[in-house]
Amino acid sequence: MRTKATLTAAAVALALGAAGAALAADMAGVIQARQTHYKAIGAASKGIYDELNKPTPQASVIQGYAHQLDTLAPQIPSWFPVGSGPEAGVKTKAKAEIWSQPAAFKTAADSFAVAAHHFAATAAGGDIGAIRAEYPTLTKACGSCHTQFRAKAPG
Amino acid sequence: MLFAALWWTGETEQLDLHRDAGFILLGMVIFRLIWGVVGGSTARFSDFLHGPRAIGAYATDLIRGRIDRSVIGHNPLGGWSVAAMLALLAAELTLGLFTVDIDGDQPGPLARLISYDQGRTVAQWHQWVFNGLLALIGLHLAAIAFHAVVKRDNLIGPMLTGAKRHAGDAAPMRPAPMWRLAVAVLVSAAIVWLIVRG
Repeated sequence: MRTKATLTAAAVALALGAAGAALAADMAGVIQARQTHYKAIGAASKGIYDELNKPTPQASVIQGYAHQLDTLAPQIPSWFPVGSGPEAGVKTKAKAEIWSQPAAFKTAADSFAVAAHHFAATAAGGDIGAIRAEYPTLTKACGSCHTQFRAKAPG
Repeated sequence: MLFAALWWTGETEQLDLHRDAGFILLGMVIFRLIWGVVGGSTARFSDFLHGPRAIGAYATDLIRGRIDRSVIGHNPLGGWSVAAMLALLAAELTLGLFTVDIDGDQPGPLARLISYDQGRTVAQWHQWVFNGLLALIGLHLAAIAFHAVVKRDNLIGPMLTGAKRHAGDAAPMRPAPMWRLAVAVLVSAAIVWLIVRG
């Protein structure tokens, strides 16, 4: 009986361990996908910056990047499932505060989505002056979330 | 001081200040490179960069504890230390011109020539070279402290004023004429302006 109980316990532990490993692998995938998305956002931001600093910026180029941002921004909260923070054991700059202060995180993410949507509308208008004037508002919306919820340490 | 300011503004992500301070330092490094060719005698590369034999002889003297205060300007080891720091500093500033910040909204002035991902890789190098610079500067300062404490030779005063009380009969430092200084400053400023303007 004793042996059987031990075996059962071992089997349960193994199963749990396997489930844990599977979960960790999932989280690594989640974090990797999240980083790919954020790099796309960074690249779009640089694209807009570079275009605005050309002698004759093309609104159509900026519209393309603005559309990308407008598509990605509302998805942000879905990139942060519980367990995909520093505890996942994978290199991530996502701070634990994202999950300990979910309301503040949602507010910050939502305000970026609003800013991205507004910027896309301005870009669609095609007025380079207006686009240039609004770009800092957009990047400030990125930054407000990053200062609170992104760690500085390289990762 | 400017270097400390760049360290601080880089760490705290005050990138607009970091960029401006970088431009000033870039101008100073370009000036120093020009000055190494046309400047006062002890500032010239030909004065303080010596071959392996001179370095070996100096290192032997150093180990045997022989003190020679008759030399002015950088000693053979210190000279290459200066060259290494200048080279890394020039590399660091060049990398900085191409660096893209993580948010992609405050890139270096030449980063438009490369992609976001490439710019992020350059940012990584910018970080590594910085660590190398810290190590070299630490080494240089440690050597200066060694001279001050063990060899009782103050190196900082002569660096600032160009004047040194020397026991031997070494030729004194020959300063360069002022017009060369003015031209070198103007040329450096012009090069930075061209880079920044893109």
